Amino acid sequence: MSIRTTLLLICIALRATGAQSPPSRAPRSSAGARTIAIDSRLASDAKLQVGDRVVISSEPGAPGDTVVIAGIVQRSADPAEIARGEYRVRLHLDHLQTLLGYGDRVDRFAIRTRGDGSAPEAVARIDAAAYGFRAHRSADVAVETSRTFAVVSRFHRAIGVITIVASAIFLLCIMLLKVDERRRDVAALRLIGCSARTIVGSVVLEAAVIAVLGSLAGVAVGGAASWIVNQHYQAVYRTPLRFSIVTGDIVVLAVALSLVLGLAAGWLAARRLVRTPPLALFGR
Amino acid sequence: MIATLAFASLLRHRARTALAILGVAVSAAMLLDMVMLSSGMRESFRSLLLSQGFQLRLSPKGTLPFDTEATIRSADSIVAIIRARPAVAAVSPVLGGQLHFPLAASMVNATALGVEPSVQGDYELVEGRNPSAPEELVANDALLRALGRAVGDTIHAASGYDPQLRSLSGQRVLRIVGRVRFIYLALDQRAAALPIGTLRAMNGPQSEGRASLAMVRLRPGADVERERAALQRSLRTVTVISTSEALKQVDERLSYFRQLAVILGAVSLTVGFLLVTTLVTVSVNERIGEISVMRAIGVHRWRVVAQILVESTMIMLVAAPAGLALGLVTARWLNSILARFPGLPERIDFFLFQPSAAWTALGLLALSGILAGVYPSWRGASLPIATTLRQEAVG
Repeated sequence: MSIRTTLLLICIALRATGAQSPPSRAPRSSAGARTIAIDSRLASDAKLQVGDRVVISSEPGAPGDTVVIAGIVQRSADPAEIARGEYRVRLHLDHLQTLLGYGDRVDRFAIRTRGDGSAPEAVARIDAAAYGFRAHRSADVAVETSRTFAVVSRFHRAIGVITIVASAIFLLCIMLLKVDERRRDVAALRLIGCSARTIVGSVVLEAAVIAVLGSLAGVAVGGAASWIVNQHYQAVYRTPLRFSIVTGDIVVLAVALSLVLGLAAGWLAARRLVRTPPLALFGR
Repeated sequence: MIATLAFASLLRHRARTALAILGVAVSAAMLLDMVMLSSGMRESFRSLLLSQGFQLRLSPKGTLPFDTEATIRSADSIVAIIRARPAVAAVSPVLGGQLHFPLAASMVNATALGVEPSVQGDYELVEGRNPSAPEELVANDALLRALGRAVGDTIHAASGYDPQLRSLSGQRVLRIVGRVRFIYLALDQRAAALPIGTLRAMNGPQSEGRASLAMVRLRPGADVERERAALQRSLRTVTVISTSEALKQVDERLSYFRQLAVILGAVSLTVGFLLVTTLVTVSVNERIGEISVMRAIGVHRWRVVAQILVESTMIMLVAAPAGLALGLVTARWLNSILARFPGLPERIDFFLFQPSAAWTALGLLALSGILAGVYPSWRGASLPIATTLRQEAVG
């Protein structure tokens, strides 16, 4: 069993918490017990606080070690952890190795190299010398561990495509209705000499105004929805991770897209109208 | 007669009606997809868990099966205790681990499952047979391809590395006796199964008597929940999970997709509803003179209401089959995207078609169609006849 995994499985048995010792960041508390840090989720669920004494063991029912909670840590905003409900306990490395009977084994080393260019060379040299383990660049590890989110991102894009198709049809339909409502006005304008180009231009301009106003309202609704989504999922998963972010790029894309769709819908509807003879528009 | 009039009214503006039907079809497709997503994933996981007939799973205390690398201590005695229970038909202990296969120029790593071949429920045999001797294993296609081996071949395998001696540890020569498909592993995941005793021996003393998981099949008629509670009471070092409990955990973890399905389904329905409402309202506005004449010659108010309701429902119902067909196509597409989740079992479908999903989508569409006609029909039916006729005549 790996240390990392076992860390998640450290069993904590609550003992009488009457003896409160002051918070400490030292390996040992003033009372002599080792210190640990727990995450805020565990602290909240188990009603633990800094200074409490608890017994930790590597397996349920196994003899444990009495420790003092020296700190409560906030989880990092790591997407890979959100769906996992485990608690996190941080111990000093030697403490955990002793608790598990693990000798001097570790799961991994993190190495800081001097400058970006030296990382590949360091990886190559470690791999050449190592037996039974491999070195990876942090960037490669990040790519590998974020595959899940790449899939989710592709899924969101696919949903976005379907939404855009539905929006385009909806917009075209609405523009068609709006233009159809003005059949008589358009017929009159044509009969008094307005060119088809002027009429198409006015309809397209109207469509553009509607698209821009609609998209601005959409941005406001999107911002509010994003806030609600973040509030909801941050509470559900108890994480500071932001699930939905409305960036300037997204706003520009949304407005541009709706403007293009609006212009196209307006143009198509207007073209259809100006191609109909004015008297036919009057119903004669 | 009402249907004929409604149909004629829709035909009057063909382009408009066609666009509305297309818009509703896309909304219906999205709605079906979301209904499939909200229920299909759960159903797919349920059928996966029950596919081999094991209703209970035991994992290390506080964990889900294979969620961590933790193992159950004294697993053999726990299995013996469970097997002694009258309601239990079979118990299958499983130990997870890694196997390393040294080839001429490289090393192939694979997931290893230590099982009792006679009661295992982790794989289906495709070719060959189950391991019957300690030095035998079965492997899936992904591993056989990577090894360049076939059923009947032998291969060197190890369970770990010894960095100090710079050698492989737990080495064995194993014979491949079967080609299998693992039920709970991803399609491209290289994996092999071998007798649990062999894997324990390869791993060394730290694996002695341990198992990652035990699956329990109950006799027909046994009360699953009662048996789960009894096992949980008697076994303090494990968590006993029934299928319903596992589904609850899956629901929690994948709640994002369920909630997304509900939100997008509601949005799709709303878009379709608004589209039809707008269209029918405009259509009624254009025909207020016609409707007033109908009322003036004695057509009952409810006939007018019925005609407009039929009109809106007709749009929804004509669009529904196209939308449902489109929904099945887009569901396949979306499912193929989500199927690339790392480690997802091959048999899990996020978008699982069930007749109930289609009926639910159809029912919601029909209801939405009827509701979409309520406002325009109320407006049409409540027109003051004389005033409207005079306004229409004056122009």
